[in-house]
Amino acid sequence: MTTRTFSTHDELENSLIVHFRPVPAATDLVRRTLDGLRDDFRPERFAERVQVEATERGISMLSPGGQARPPASQASKRLAAKAREELFEYLEGRRSFFSVPVDFSGMPAFQRKVLERTYRIPFGETRSYARIAQEIGNPRAVRAVGTALGRNPIPIIVPCHRVLRSDGGLGGYGLGLPMKTRLLGLERSTPVLEGCATTGIVCRVGCPDAMRMREDSRVVFASVDDARSVGYRPCKVCRPSDATLS
Amino acid sequence: MTTDRELMHRVAQKDEQAFAELANRYSARLLTMAWRLLGNRADAEDAVQRALLRLYLSAGSYRSEWAVSTWLYRVATNVCVDEIRRRRSRSSLQKAVHEEAGDGQGLLFPWGGGAAPGPAQNLDLHRALARVPLEARILLALRYVDGLSYQELARVRGISVNTVKSQLARGKMILRSALTDRRRRPRTAVRIGKGAGE
Repeated sequence: MTTRTFSTHDELENSLIVHFRPVPAATDLVRRTLDGLRDDFRPERFAERVQVEATERGISMLSPGGQARPPASQASKRLAAKAREELFEYLEGRRSFFSVPVDFSGMPAFQRKVLERTYRIPFGETRSYARIAQEIGNPRAVRAVGTALGRNPIPIIVPCHRVLRSDGGLGGYGLGLPMKTRLLGLERSTPVLEGCATTGIVCRVGCPDAMRMREDSRVVFASVDDARSVGYRPCKVCRPSDATLS
Repeated sequence: MTTDRELMHRVAQKDEQAFAELANRYSARLLTMAWRLLGNRADAEDAVQRALLRLYLSAGSYRSEWAVSTWLYRVATNVCVDEIRRRRSRSSLQKAVHEEAGDGQGLLFPWGGGAAPGPAQNLDLHRALARVPLEARILLALRYVDGLSYQELARVRGISVNTVKSQLARGKMILRSALTDRRRRPRTAVRIGKGAGE
């Protein structure tokens, strides 16, 4: 029996044309988009009034208002300023990671364990309180995990907003639930990997080298391998391939 | 009729009517592209809204050497691609859970869950497309939704024209072999021994 070729050139071409034939969008799609614009929440405003304290080892406190203690040294002053800058970029959707270190040393042992684990949840992902409890080896301490996160002295940078209830509910948040929803929404609409069309380099969003990229050079990728498949190479500064392994 | 570029300049001055007109011109094509890439209408609508919002907010940085359509497709594919990345990291979690539970859902539905590909769609083609690497699939979608040229495709994804050509050719080759495979071996048939259906 001869082998028949089932998908001839024309057949494939035709089914692709049918498959990709435009379907009309809902009539209110544009109106809904415009409604999204009326949202008066401006993350930049939050970034302007935020107070940051740092030790020489890293950021130790972040609070949306109130007074920060004066920095103890030049090094801690620099760290606090850097954190504020990165926070601003993060809230504007231009950063997917924080490079400033965090100082966990002043915390009680249990809270420290919880926060150190939470600190490693990747951008845009979420975990449940139960899973955090399990991962720190205390599977029954779900409520205690919630309490420890509720007292997180460094919200946003230690991303306690990425911890949700097992049933998908929001749980609680020190800066208020509306803020938790905003942050989760922000991470949903901020890409993690972007390539520069002129240099052919792919970076993590927020890489100091990528900050110089022109708006019309930005191309988003889903993985470093995808970027490689069309001729991009990973950046040597922010090392995106290491980041996506976590 | 007002040209895309004129509308775009009015959008840069926050003219909502111009924005609505421009959005209406492209919404069907953007929606289809997003739908075919993401697999379901709800996510596609969400992606289109995000892309349009981005268009509105960054219209100020639009430079007229770009065709508006090219620029809009760049923004929209960026949104879709990031959505796919998010799903991959989520599905690797889900897959681990499923594997523990002993079912192979993640393998059967690589586009994530049993999402329907849309009304009256060619399921075989849909499955075959899932085997095409993402970058090639995006190029296929753009090429067939709006007939973009190689140059436009290259601009949308920030790659060279030659890469566009080779990716498209490779994508079609994978489709062709996946479709041929499937027809030789109907899904319902159980394969016994070797060479069944040849």
